[in-house]
Amino acid sequence: MAKEEYVPVTGDDWYQRRREDAEGEFFRRVANQGPRKGDGGGTRQGIYMFTASGKLLAYKNAGQAPEVMRDVLRQGLAEWKKLPAAQRRPGAVRVEDVDRLDRHYVRTPPAGGLILSVFARALDRDEHGALCDASCKVGGGNEASRDHVWLTEADWKSLVPADAQKGDKIALPRRVAERIARFHLIDNTRGEPPFWRREDIRTLDLGLTVAEATADRLRLRLEGSALLATDPDASRAERGYDARLLGYLSFDRARQRFDHFDVVAVGQHWGEGTYTRGARPGRTPLGIAFELAAVDAGDANVPPQAARELDAYLAQ
Amino acid sequence: MLSRRTWSALVVLAICHGSQTLLAGDAISPDEFDKLHALIKPKPAEEKWTEIPWMTGLWQARQRAAAEGKPILLWEMDGHPLGCT
Repeated sequence: MAKEEYVPVTGDDWYQRRREDAEGEFFRRVANQGPRKGDGGGTRQGIYMFTASGKLLAYKNAGQAPEVMRDVLRQGLAEWKKLPAAQRRPGAVRVEDVDRLDRHYVRTPPAGGLILSVFARALDRDEHGALCDASCKVGGGNEASRDHVWLTEADWKSLVPADAQKGDKIALPRRVAERIARFHLIDNTRGEPPFWRREDIRTLDLGLTVAEATADRLRLRLEGSALLATDPDASRAERGYDARLLGYLSFDRARQRFDHFDVVAVGQHWGEGTYTRGARPGRTPLGIAFELAAVDAGDANVPPQAARELDAYLAQ
Repeated sequence: MLSRRTWSALVVLAICHGSQTLLAGDAISPDEFDKLHALIKPKPAEEKWTEIPWMTGLWQARQRAAAEGKPILLWEMDGHPLGCT
């Protein structure tokens, strides 16, 4: 139904409710017909069904209740079909191109940059002590989270050592290591996560070893650890992550691009944030996996969650 | 002296500890890398919603809906539905 009967689209309400351009105004005009009018700058999140002209057909914020959403989708279609045929036919509404975007609230991937997908999952141990998927309630960390990492052209080029020889070791450039640690070694399995402050980085030791260096290929192994904690004494910190990392990167010298960027972080996580309540008690395993984003995937241009504060995210 | 049952328990514990991986502070074994990477990534059952061809631009969706004569379904969350949590 969503695929055939509707034009399905997603949005991050943090941007949409703030945008001062035609798209933001259109969204708010639609949302103001429903129960969430964003009073005081509050959220307008939910699932909306509306016409291209901006008439709200149905609204519900129950994304984790599929049977409820199915009913609302049907309700939206029923309202759509009540409209005169002249309003529903293709071309009945003209929507011109927009000539101005609110640059404060529009994010585009850095030119020439590299995009990684990153997933986090609550883990547990099976009866043999091996890591396995944790059993959590729906919405409480039962699925992998997803986000993107943005590396600028200068960032990824800094990972490719000049005149590399097998066995060479280099430290991961600090700005890349900090971006990964502060904004991506996080528990976002239950909602919007708090990010680590720079002072929360208690230790951060990430290095690259040249595993193979030929005329046309460079293979790198990424290894290291990170201790992130909200208190200098990690044993007293309300929130923390003590992680080990391992990864394998492969760089095609002829095409001047990475074709593998697989990294895993595993460690003990504890604590929660304002929008990530319901953490498991104590210190529990959290796994994070990185890989190259599929460039043809529809979601590849979705910005990192932390890119709302873009300058801080890309800080040198 | 330890009973047979206690010895058995200790042997079981030793076996379990021997196969236990990645205790706090342990490095990740290269032998486990692929398995861990796959374990953490979304499972097929967690990706059913990606079968819907979600667009990411509201204005472009509006133009398409107008051209095709369809209503719009907007999934609007704090934290992008395709990129956060």
